Amino acid sequence: MSEPLLRIDDLSVGYGDFIAVDGASLQVDEGQIVSLIGLNGAGKTTLTSAVTGLLKPTSGKVYFGAEDITGMNTDKIVSKGLSLIPQGGRCFNRMSVQDNLLMGSFPRSARKEAKETLGHVYELFPVLKEKMRDPAGSLSGGQRQMVAIGRALMARPKCLIFDEISLGLSPAVIKDIYNRIQSINERDKTAIILIEQDTRRALKMSDSFFVMLKGKIVLSGKSAEVDAETLKEAYFGI
Amino acid sequence: MLKRKFTPSHVKVLDSPPMLILCIVLVVCLYIGCFAGLISNKVMRYLVQIFLYVTMGEMWNLLSGYAGMTSLGQQLYIGLAGYSVAMATSPLFGLPLFSALLIGAGISVVVSLFMSLILFRLEGMYFSIATLVAAEAFCMLFFAWKFVGQGAGLTIRINPYPKLQEICILSLTICVVALALVYGLLRTRVGLGLTAMRDDITSAASVGVNIFSHKLLVYVIAAFFTALAGGIFFVNKGTIYPDSGFDISWTISMVFIAIIGGTGTVSGPVIGAIIYVFLNEKLADYPGWSNIILGTITILVILFLPNGIMGTLQKKLRFEIFSSKRFSFRLKKNAGGK
Amino acid sequence: MYFIQTLINGLLLGGYYALIGIGMTMILGIVKLTNLAHGEFVIIGAYMASVITTGLGIDPILSLVITVPLMFLIGFVLQYVLIGNAMKKGPEPALLVTFGLSIILMDAMRLTFTVNERSIATSYSTKTFTVLGINISVLNLVLFAISIVSILLLSLFLNRTYVGRAIRATADDAEAAALSGVNIKKVYAIAMGVSMASAAVAGLCVGMKSTFNPTSGGAYLSTAFVVVVIGGMGSIPGTLIAGVIFGLAQVIGGASYGQLISYVMLLLVLVIRPKGILGK
Repeated sequence: MSEPLLRIDDLSVGYGDFIAVDGASLQVDEGQIVSLIGLNGAGKTTLTSAVTGLLKPTSGKVYFGAEDITGMNTDKIVSKGLSLIPQGGRCFNRMSVQDNLLMGSFPRSARKEAKETLGHVYELFPVLKEKMRDPAGSLSGGQRQMVAIGRALMARPKCLIFDEISLGLSPAVIKDIYNRIQSINERDKTAIILIEQDTRRALKMSDSFFVMLKGKIVLSGKSAEVDAETLKEAYFGI
Repeated sequence: MLKRKFTPSHVKVLDSPPMLILCIVLVVCLYIGCFAGLISNKVMRYLVQIFLYVTMGEMWNLLSGYAGMTSLGQQLYIGLAGYSVAMATSPLFGLPLFSALLIGAGISVVVSLFMSLILFRLEGMYFSIATLVAAEAFCMLFFAWKFVGQGAGLTIRINPYPKLQEICILSLTICVVALALVYGLLRTRVGLGLTAMRDDITSAASVGVNIFSHKLLVYVIAAFFTALAGGIFFVNKGTIYPDSGFDISWTISMVFIAIIGGTGTVSGPVIGAIIYVFLNEKLADYPGWSNIILGTITILVILFLPNGIMGTLQKKLRFEIFSSKRFSFRLKKNAGGK
Repeated sequence: MYFIQTLINGLLLGGYYALIGIGMTMILGIVKLTNLAHGEFVIIGAYMASVITTGLGIDPILSLVITVPLMFLIGFVLQYVLIGNAMKKGPEPALLVTFGLSIILMDAMRLTFTVNERSIATSYSTKTFTVLGINISVLNLVLFAISIVSILLLSLFLNRTYVGRAIRATADDAEAAALSGVNIKKVYAIAMGVSMASAAVAGLCVGMKSTFNPTSGGAYLSTAFVVVVIGGMGSIPGTLIAGVIFGLAQVIGGASYGQLISYVMLLLVLVIRPKGILGK
């Protein structure tokens, strides 16, 4: 079997004396969609922050391809092809939509193809092309999420992490965004990690899943094969 | 798997009663020494400086280290006090030094009340900038004001000229009162509120700390004592002009004293002031280098001893001289966490 | 006629004051640091220009070819090795480090250049010409041109280049910028470098406009503060407008009241609109 694209090995992260992630392991293969589900405060966001270098892990390893990226600076990790779309999107509100997208191609490896990728992004989200000169802060919540996704795509990532992309959006908008995530995965073979609280939607879309509870991965498997009862037990820890 | 520790359980508190008694003994000895003339004039001159700098450093520490108001404009109150002393003791008014000092402190309190209307709308760096600019504005005002001699300033001729002994006792008294007040203040509910404000102003407000009144109290107290100390400084200088009264180096010295000693500790500025006075004395031998050395020390201390001398000692040795924590004793007995 | 004359003079000086504030606005808006050494940086720029001009016997403006890159480098290193580390400990420690820097630089300049006043003389220092009955000083016109060109270049850099965009993005949301592949520490260092480079240009202008000595920095620090706060931190158009307002105050108030008027204006702006005229 070939090397997984992203491998997290027994990773722990703490804030002072509080341990938020306690020896979590998971892996994602190329072109796969994986969902990471769990309650509020289970440590999902902390885990992804540590993987992308925003936080320094206390122990454990993260491999991207064959390379050890544990504790690397975020900008290095992004330029290797692992991008995170943080909760709420976090657009640069005072910059125009186009400038936001161009920011995504900041890594040197992505700059040469910036024009071409920008075309792809506008193809995927035509509404952004219409509003390319508007400041990102003036857009609706769903559109801001699109800007954030587009910005991440501009770096030409091999793996994309979506941190609760559906938070605060209406069901129709969520459905729309999920369709596009699916097409990103199909067209570019980009591996995708979906962090969600909405278990049903996440399982429907993903190939495999991981359930997190109190900092630990308590259950994992193929999304199609899990039965509702086991999942509920793992999810709530009962 | 969720581990939590209560750090206060590790802190030995070395304040009252032995430490307090030691301090009272020291103060009494100093008073006796001054009154009985047991201390030589040379030593007394040092002592005066130390007392005044302790007062000023402690006040800046109260502002920045406890209330989170990093003022860069405390020279405003020194200038006001200096001018008040010069004016009130001049032949025109002919008041004695003591009343002149009180007038200076009173004017400073009034001005600080007025300034609070402007300054307290601001936080963080805006506050720092505004304090600096306000002091500059007063400097410019005195430059243009005929009554106080414009740019040339005033000569200070106090009649009768106070003896060094009197100045020393006065400075010691101001210093002791200031220290006792800060120490007492921090151990009341006000101190608790101030510490909460420094850590997180929004949460402090949400648990019912009246931010405005806490800030106002601290700011006015700081203005009052800074003015008292500043006024005495100008007794010996003989002249005052806008650039010397409203000189930012007054605040530089307060910052240095608080940082070196350790901001947010009551004992820090005392150590800081003693170091500052002796360092200043030594640096007089290297004219032109004094600020380079002071600046380098400040930067090194911030980078390598971010808690200052007293703060670092407290962390390393896990004790605290003069804890400002009201509940330190109860917490000590509480073996929190697992 | 007096009115128009005042307006023109104020306008011309506006560019000059905006230039003094522009480096400060970058640091406050992007790095979120109150740089108390900015005044000294400007004076160092003035001394460098003065030394190079007299040493090489060239036109003062040509000295920028050397001073701008040199000051950029100094700023970059200063932020990367020193100030960046202090910023990790919080805003107050960083503020106090720049405070320390400012007094170190002041004495270092005193030791190197003595306390004597200096200035940078040019052939057009005192020339004026008259258009439609209005006297225009050639020097003020030159200063205005230098300032406007520098500010335009800066704004092109911020809006049209990858690094400039990264600087603006970092000012907006540093963590999100890191997630877009930006090395924040480096961006801060570049911003400080650019701020220093602008101080080099401002220093040249200060030297041409008036005399300076090692302790002159404080006045320019205050000027920069006034311009930045009135204009709103990080806003280039705001800085320009604030520069003109400041320039008008100087022309109207004259030597004795000009500074005072601008300080009072600053305090008023802080009370009424703490984020500046164009700030949001």
